[in-house]
Amino acid sequence: MEKTTLISLEKLNQLRLTDEQRDSVLAFFDAQSGRLAELNAIDTESVERMVHVMPIMTVVRDDVEKKLFTRDELQKGAPETLDGYWQVPRLVD
Amino acid sequence: MKTYLAKAAAGAKSVALDDMILTTALPTTAGSKMLDGYCSLFDATVVEKLQSAGYSVAGKLNVGEFGFDVIGESSYYGAVRNADGSYASAAALALDEGGIDAVVTVDINGAPRRSAAQSGKVFIKPTYGTVSRYGTVAVACSGETVGVMADCADSAKTVLGAIAGYDCKDGTMHAQSKIDAALRDAKPRKIAVLTGFDTDAEGQQKIEAFKAACEGAGITVEQADGTLLKSASTAWNILMCAELCNNVSRFDGIKYGYRSKDYTTIDELYTNSRTEAFGDELKAAILYGSDVLSTKNYMPVYDKALRVRRVMVEALNKLFEQYDAVVLPACSKMKYADIDVAPYAVYTENLYTAPASISGLPAVVCAGVQAVGKAFSDGMLLELAKTAEEGK
Repeated sequence: MEKTTLISLEKLNQLRLTDEQRDSVLAFFDAQSGRLAELNAIDTESVERMVHVMPIMTVVRDDVEKKLFTRDELQKGAPETLDGYWQVPRLVD
Repeated sequence: MKTYLAKAAAGAKSVALDDMILTTALPTTAGSKMLDGYCSLFDATVVEKLQSAGYSVAGKLNVGEFGFDVIGESSYYGAVRNADGSYASAAALALDEGGIDAVVTVDINGAPRRSAAQSGKVFIKPTYGTVSRYGTVAVACSGETVGVMADCADSAKTVLGAIAGYDCKDGTMHAQSKIDAALRDAKPRKIAVLTGFDTDAEGQQKIEAFKAACEGAGITVEQADGTLLKSASTAWNILMCAELCNNVSRFDGIKYGYRSKDYTTIDELYTNSRTEAFGDELKAAILYGSDVLSTKNYMPVYDKALRVRRVMVEALNKLFEQYDAVVLPACSKMKYADIDVAPYAVYTENLYTAPASISGLPAVVCAGVQAVGKAFSDGMLLELAKTAEEGK
């Protein structure tokens, strides 16, 4: 992988690495790419993908309104709030 | 070095929880600076079930950041070590400290199994969907399972009985009748030791002792080829990182968790908060997960891993047509030094644990050895563990 591609991935994931960290991550990516040959040696042409390991049931609950938490409770762990709102930097000038 | 990140008064029947399990009475950090000091508004279903069964929560135990590392070395609060300097899990040390019946801990990438093997504890990773994951910090949802570590198989079985059970809040659960069947006792008759999974001399001795204990109890022990199952590690790394990447995208410094002090724009807030709060190993896993899900790699990498998952499950089920369980080591060596937990070591060290992780099949670790059984054979695996204990 090119360093520029890694920098794009960082932006997508809202992360920023140092150059030293980038070298380490690129080496990790190379190692993982090297292991793909092992998977490609397994014939999966006629194999269906398996997303869930066990059969999944759709959970159906009664359509009854439940009030779980108040706004104050939900904002207890918030880093910054103002007048009952989550505070963030100005988005539109 | 912190074993307990938070403690509470222990009762007559007590368990400790790893810090991936949400509790209202104690903070939950997932071993990450991102959740330092975070208090949940609700208890995980397993906590409610434990309390209903009369257990008190004695405390929360240190875990590696988001629990997918080798044995806990990536915790923001520092790694936990044995007296000789080798790495340990907080769960095993808490059991040695005493005062608790068991530790309830989430198995994402095999850390509790490696820890149990090295410390001589019993760990049961139950069949996926028999214990609710509601209220655990989500990392690799398609394979992670809440399990129990204890000093002996009987204790593990008792606590597993308390936490297993249908929960409508977890959409991946089985019906109660199937869960009851999974916990039923059954005697193992024939097992196979898988070839192709090398371990150190001490680990090999433990396999031999396990075989001897089983044979002494009248269980037929054979060998089976496990070479194909070694590919489970590569496939699980892809799936785990893809799921992890999505699951930790929720941590953005807005509604809860760490927020950087250094920002002026919303993008700086997101990026600086995540960059400052996440450890290097987690960042690499996020980036890898994002890469395997990219347009270019989705089909050749992610989709391929999903197909290989089915190949692994079918290979295991074919073995279970002949054997009640397959036996393999849980780790490459019985003690970890610094080099064994170096960055990215977990992606190869999970060679031994990935077959059960990727397939959702139950696994038990006892007497330093791992046994994997077919779906819903949890009770049988715990009987096998008892046999190994008695043969020690």
